[in-house]
Amino acid sequence: MALPPPSTDQKRESFEKEALVHLDVLYRVALRLTSNPSDADDLVQETMLKAYRSWDQYQQGTNAKAWLLTILRHAFINEYRRRVRHPETVDVDAIEPFAVFPDVQDEDPQGAFFDKIVDDQVLKAIDQLPVVFRETLVLSDVEGMSYQEIADILKVPVGTVKSRLFRARHLLQAKLYDYAVEMGYIKGSPA
Amino acid sequence: MNMNCRECVEHLYEFLDRELTPELEREIRAHLEDCPPCEEQYDFEELFLKFLRARCRTQGAPPELKKRVLRELFGE
Repeated sequence: MALPPPSTDQKRESFEKEALVHLDVLYRVALRLTSNPSDADDLVQETMLKAYRSWDQYQQGTNAKAWLLTILRHAFINEYRRRVRHPETVDVDAIEPFAVFPDVQDEDPQGAFFDKIVDDQVLKAIDQLPVVFRETLVLSDVEGMSYQEIADILKVPVGTVKSRLFRARHLLQAKLYDYAVEMGYIKGSPA
Repeated sequence: MNMNCRECVEHLYEFLDRELTPELEREIRAHLEDCPPCEEQYDFEELFLKFLRARCRTQGAPPELKKRVLRELFGE
């Protein structure tokens, strides 16, 4: 026998308990995807509305954070495709960034130069990464999600998550390293 | 069989992300104990990941956004 549908109060209670608690995560991810606080607000708002409308399809007690991030990402991609007529045409999976460590291992093997870089510059460097790298890096390195969780959200194989994460991290390191050299935080190797 | 430096560096991020089997993790730890250059590289990458997390996690949703979401969902 089918269970009666939950009352509005029950729906609201479970949504608050399982979905609204992830508002900070959704906002951080939205902010890095859109690079703009006002667009991030709109994206989170849209995500929450869609999530509440489809709350009956969510299996309670499973991974609400991943479910919400999947909705957020779809909403972002749809909007992004609509706004940007020519999305990234570079083959990001062919990008082979260089590793920074060999260049700094003599001068600063502990990476102390990273600490001299202000927050805004770090966020700016992340925002300059191609979007497929950015989303992988944020889900892993900011939100601490596993390779499998990320693969499920992005609908790509785990191997792709691994290789994108590797490239994203090295590309970001290279950007921060270039900035640190420019600012004189580190001498760097002569080209 | 002992792990070589190339294999060790190949697994670097998976190790730091705790995505390896316990057996492979043990092999890497054993290699790192005997190989200061690899250990130095692991330390560098670990510090980088910690730095990244610390710099990016400070931001949360603005209180206004939470109010806006509640208003939209529940008419409050």
